[in-house]
Amino acid sequence: MAGIELLSDQGFRVDGRKANELRRIQCRLGVFTQADGSAYIEQGNTKILAAVYGPHEIRGSRSKALHDKVLVNCQYSMATFSTGERKRRPRGDRKSKEMTMHLQQTFDAAILTSLYPRSQIDIFVEVLQSDGGNYCASVNAATLALIDAGIPLKDYVCACSASFVNDKPIMDISYLEESSGGAELIVATLPKSEQIVFLEMNSRLHEDNLSHVLDMAVKGCKDIHDVLDQAVREHVGEVAAISGLE
Amino acid sequence: MVDVQLSDAEKTYIIHGAQDNLREDGRGCEDYRHLEIETSVVSTTSGSAKIRLANTEILVGVKVELGETSPENPDKGRIEFFVDCSANATPEFEGRGGEDLANEISNMLARAYDCPSCLDMRKLCVVEGKKCWIVYVDVLLLECGGSLFDASSIAVKAALYNTSIPRLTVTHDEGHTELELSDDPYDVQRLDVYNSPCIVTLSKIGHSHVVDASQKEEACCLARLMLAVTDKGCVTAMKKEGSGSFDVSSIEDMLETGKKVGQSLNKSLMEVLVSEDRNMKKKYMTGYLR
Amino acid sequence: MLTNKVFLKKTKKGSILKIVREHYLRDDISCGSSVCELCQHDDKGPVLEEKLTNLSQKVDQSHYIIPDTNVVLHQIDVLEDLSIQNVIILQTVIEEVRHRSAPAYKRLKDILTNPTKHFYNFANEFNKETYVEREPGEKSNDRNDRAIREAAYWYQQHLKKLESEIDIVLLTNDADNRTKAKEKGLTSFTIHEYVKGLKDNGTLLDKLAHVGTGLVHEKDKVQFPEHLPLNEILRGIKSGKYLQGSFIASRENYLEANVSVKSEDRWIFIQGHMNLNRAVNDDTVAIEMLPEEEWSCPSSLMLEETEEKTDDADIEAEDAKLKQNKVPKDLRQPTGRVVGIIKRNWRQYCGILQQSAIKEATRHLFLPAEKRIPKIRIETRQAKDLSTQRIVVAIDSWPRNSRYPHGHFVRKLGNVGDKDTENEVLLLEHDVPHSNFSEAVLNFLPKMPWTITDEDMKHRTDLRHITVCSVDPPGCTDIDDALHCRPLANGNLEVGVHIADVSHFIRPGNALDKEASNRGTTVYLVDKRIDMVPELLSSNLCSLRCDVDRFAFTVIWEMTHEAEIVNTKFMKSVIESRASLTYGEAQMIIDDPTRNDDIATSLRGLNKLAKILKQKRIDKGALTLASPEIRFNIDSETHDPIDVQAKQLLDTNSMVEEFMLLANISTAQKIHEEFPNCAVLRRHPSPPPSNFDPLIKAALSKGFTMNVSTGKDLADSLNSAVIENDKYFNTMLRIMTTRCMMQAVYFCSGMIPEAEYLHYGLASEIYTHFTSPIRRYSDILVHRLLAVCIGADASYPELLDKHKTQLVCNNLNYRHKMAQYAGRSSVNLHTHLFFKKRVVDEDGYILFVRKNAVQVLIPKYGLEATLYLNTDQRKKGPLFVFNEEENTQTCGGISLHVFDRVIIQISIDRSNVQHLKLQIKLVQPQIPEFSVAPTEDDKSTDDEPPTKKQKLDI
Repeated sequence: MAGIELLSDQGFRVDGRKANELRRIQCRLGVFTQADGSAYIEQGNTKILAAVYGPHEIRGSRSKALHDKVLVNCQYSMATFSTGERKRRPRGDRKSKEMTMHLQQTFDAAILTSLYPRSQIDIFVEVLQSDGGNYCASVNAATLALIDAGIPLKDYVCACSASFVNDKPIMDISYLEESSGGAELIVATLPKSEQIVFLEMNSRLHEDNLSHVLDMAVKGCKDIHDVLDQAVREHVGEVAAISGLE
Repeated sequence: MVDVQLSDAEKTYIIHGAQDNLREDGRGCEDYRHLEIETSVVSTTSGSAKIRLANTEILVGVKVELGETSPENPDKGRIEFFVDCSANATPEFEGRGGEDLANEISNMLARAYDCPSCLDMRKLCVVEGKKCWIVYVDVLLLECGGSLFDASSIAVKAALYNTSIPRLTVTHDEGHTELELSDDPYDVQRLDVYNSPCIVTLSKIGHSHVVDASQKEEACCLARLMLAVTDKGCVTAMKKEGSGSFDVSSIEDMLETGKKVGQSLNKSLMEVLVSEDRNMKKKYMTGYLR
Repeated sequence: MLTNKVFLKKTKKGSILKIVREHYLRDDISCGSSVCELCQHDDKGPVLEEKLTNLSQKVDQSHYIIPDTNVVLHQIDVLEDLSIQNVIILQTVIEEVRHRSAPAYKRLKDILTNPTKHFYNFANEFNKETYVEREPGEKSNDRNDRAIREAAYWYQQHLKKLESEIDIVLLTNDADNRTKAKEKGLTSFTIHEYVKGLKDNGTLLDKLAHVGTGLVHEKDKVQFPEHLPLNEILRGIKSGKYLQGSFIASRENYLEANVSVKSEDRWIFIQGHMNLNRAVNDDTVAIEMLPEEEWSCPSSLMLEETEEKTDDADIEAEDAKLKQNKVPKDLRQPTGRVVGIIKRNWRQYCGILQQSAIKEATRHLFLPAEKRIPKIRIETRQAKDLSTQRIVVAIDSWPRNSRYPHGHFVRKLGNVGDKDTENEVLLLEHDVPHSNFSEAVLNFLPKMPWTITDEDMKHRTDLRHITVCSVDPPGCTDIDDALHCRPLANGNLEVGVHIADVSHFIRPGNALDKEASNRGTTVYLVDKRIDMVPELLSSNLCSLRCDVDRFAFTVIWEMTHEAEIVNTKFMKSVIESRASLTYGEAQMIIDDPTRNDDIATSLRGLNKLAKILKQKRIDKGALTLASPEIRFNIDSETHDPIDVQAKQLLDTNSMVEEFMLLANISTAQKIHEEFPNCAVLRRHPSPPPSNFDPLIKAALSKGFTMNVSTGKDLADSLNSAVIENDKYFNTMLRIMTTRCMMQAVYFCSGMIPEAEYLHYGLASEIYTHFTSPIRRYSDILVHRLLAVCIGADASYPELLDKHKTQLVCNNLNYRHKMAQYAGRSSVNLHTHLFFKKRVVDEDGYILFVRKNAVQVLIPKYGLEATLYLNTDQRKKGPLFVFNEEENTQTCGGISLHVFDRVIIQISIDRSNVQHLKLQIKLVQPQIPEFSVAPTEDDKSTDDEPPTKKQKLDI
């Protein structure tokens, strides 16, 4: 009666996953032809399209140009029909602006920015359907799009969320788990070096539990990395085959 | 939309081709490019469709919400269009860059559907004078490859066809109206979109006109006529666009062509939708995964 | 990585939102059978056995049982029986049960965790092979039934594949489901068929619930109004036509009840069978208000359901009788009627079987111990056996055509009148967990012999050099607190309160902690103590006995001689008590001028300060309330009570109390300062003014005006309301005032606004419980918080989670209340036992005057009894006349008022051997044809062994 049982005695979550399991990830690189790089990712029911343009000349005001590194320009936008309740605006609200900023910070840290001074890279993220972990899926999609565009990165950037339910950390939380009021920890890492490039936490979590939750989220990033890496390798294989490089 | 620069010779080639009903990519004047359509792509919506017309990529999501009836039409529901040009399509759309184009498209769609025979709005009324369904049609432009109006309208019609509205049971109880939702997810109401229009854009190239102009053809074209045509050949909206001008007789010609093309477009669209609907259960949604 | 292969979506429609949730289907879910080598079993290994016993004659093969939802919901008593083993509980079933009945869900979970029962929880909804999708037009119930059949079929095929002899038996009482199962080739029975087929089914058969079947008497023409369907009720509540509330039956009159309406914070009165409409105490009901001209009021009639009533007694006639009593307009209360039941809150009830006129009958009436519960009709073949037993019964249903609800026998507790049985009844009825501590719990006890290590001393101050002593009631073995007081060099006094450091031994989260948290409090019965923590801790390692080293949590104040606190320190310490004194002993030391040792000076210092502290408190408006407290002297061999005496209050009692209060308040301030959001505090809300109405009315009859606007005013009014020659009058007033009070409760500070922290009775802005961690879990939590404050211990997540803390507090409040009730019932029980052997005349005072009775308080026994006036048995003599205005009963020129002193004869009514009742008769004043002659004085002076202590919480 009292609410939903987020983690059953047998260790199943509401959607049938175990605590340490990711949602199903499916992705594709090179979805569009006009963009320099594009990717589509599905993490469970969260579906995101990302497009990358650049590096190119600074668009608009020249004063934005940075003399020692590339300007990473992001835009996070959500389709009005992507959420349970219809959104009135696709972007420009506080949440989207914050998300845009977070993406910018994340990729500033991951792109080899000093290679392209005085130019600009655009990363556009469009959420088609949202079911929790929007930031994480956005980061993962953008990473793929950047790879598709051939922009040099320090490493893949993989993001994953984690929460804490019934004294157990759970990985990659869905919207339902997000909205149940528990703590939510979001990290973006460079999996090979295990560097954390972004970290955010909502709600309360006791200090003693933080390390467990963080470990879970970092583990999630590693698992995501494996999936993304395989997708990239397959994509490159296909492209090579088509262009006769094999 | 990336502008294409053409030389005079190229332009002449295209204009002459149109005159001879043989366009630069091998189509006839009244042929559309390859068009792919898929419905039920976004599960959070009441209905959705995704269309790819050459390089044009459009995703339409329909959401129905319960709202108040308007005082002018107490027995009718409403339909509202919203178009968003994603920056994914071109960096120019970033921020508010795509708003003008978006408004143009949404206004045209609203006008096309502003006709009692297009969609029976009375079926959307739940409690007369109080509650009705409001159908929000949200068009998301993801890649631009020409014929945005045509593609949008096709996607909208497909998404509306795909829309299912939950069935409500209305009970009256001492002045109180109670709405009860059927707990069976299959107990839904579908929209009848048989008479809904598709937009056909005719581009004037030289003395002739073509449908679904490619980017090169757009570059040779100074004026376009957009017609919203229903299955029966009714024209529900019409709009001229572009810097050039038409004479009266060519409008008549274009109207004829528009009706013909529109009718066949509607017909083949319905065929595809019906057959897709039938195979829905077996279908495994691919979306952008191909 | 993910093991699931197929991915499906489950679309669920919320209000009008379309909600999409993922649903992963797996192929790694174990079948849980020991036979199986294909499945990957859990770490704990397979649950279902390979070699099976419990063979029903219905099935000639060994088998696993799969019950459907309704079987689990209704027949949980059968499933709990030890003979039912190797059962597969499907996830579909668990979820439905969880949704429909919280108690059943809890019990099901308990069975599932019991390893001897071999119940296995199979996650069929997540299994690729057994998941079924709802089909168009299919009802959700039908889908679930199909899912259950599908899972049963899968098991059958799975076991066949393993070439095992084990079959699957699907138990369902739904005929349609059974037919469909049989079509699929499954073995399926009703639970009744199955249990009847069991070889040894004696008691099990009685445990079967009969829902909607059988047991309906043809002659039962009683027609209750129909209950409205739930959706109509909910709609009505939304529109304001009906009200939702919890149904509280009257203890005094079985035809009356009150419904506490949550949304409006008021009580609605319900009267008569038809209006009560089969609601049982504690149910959540929907009610409709009656038109104002039909409003009524409690009849001031003490009405007990008499034994002779047969089933077909006309309830309408009874209702009509009620209606004859025209109610004066100004007394009318908002009255309503029950139109439907939102949620039944039936539990299991203890009681006895009412003797049936027909010997061989299988249908019997069950008489619950709780007066608020109606009699229950059950079917049993062991009536003869059960007639002398206390038994437990559960309600199954209450059909419209039956006067009584239908139920089934659950188990027997023991012989009526047997002390252990009666105690068991008491504990069960008050939901007191009283089983022995489990092995898992005992494992967390420190290993003996216990010694203090250097590690222990790290965060502790050594206070063994200070002369500390404890003062408690005689016979106390769980000593929570010890005190000291000594002069300081600067002329001030140092006062220390040392509390047993229980939290040192009970670490958060382990089985011992969980058990203590669930028990919440030690329960004191007259002849028994049900410990919150195992005896090793409660009576030994934590108990601050004299002459041994003990860990303590110490509060030390520096005080002036005027009892002004200069500073307060908290520390964990080691102490060695010099003496464990009783209140009496301590008093003697203080009063003995020849004693001038450390203990004596310490006690005198404390006593002096305590008096100042008490005066200060009273000046602030703290209430001194009274409740009649007594203790029994119990025969050491028969354990029967041989004498009672009211508890004596000495200076030393109040001395200890004052310092405990001070320690509690100091602690409350400290932890609230440090943890404004998650401190465990105790509040005592000020009572709503209307609560005082009976008190004001009663005092006015003696010419006193009570000012109840603030606690201080009330205290002053009480102090001034003294009648010279009637010393007990003031005590009576205080007893009445106690009944006007609200319950004090524990709460978590982050959950309510600070203005509501007030403790009304103590006139303190903030309060908590710190001083009795051996017997109260709240104090353990407070100790932990305080330990974190002073850096002596680490915090842990649950401690700082205000929602979890509030949940713990809610349980503590419940346990606390129940423990109080249980204690009171125990006193009543012993009162009964006491009077079983004697008839006594005693002084009594009239507490309330009712329409057909007066309630009399007998201070000597702390007993409140009802004196029925115009009973049917009274054939001769003039009748009593009730004057509602003046609140008197008059007969033969003699009036009975509130506060009147009377002499009462107390005895046991032996008219029904099975159901003994205490009865009182009037001796003085003498009313012809009513009063009885005084009895010879009963002089029984036996030795007086010490009684167990019973503490009162403030």
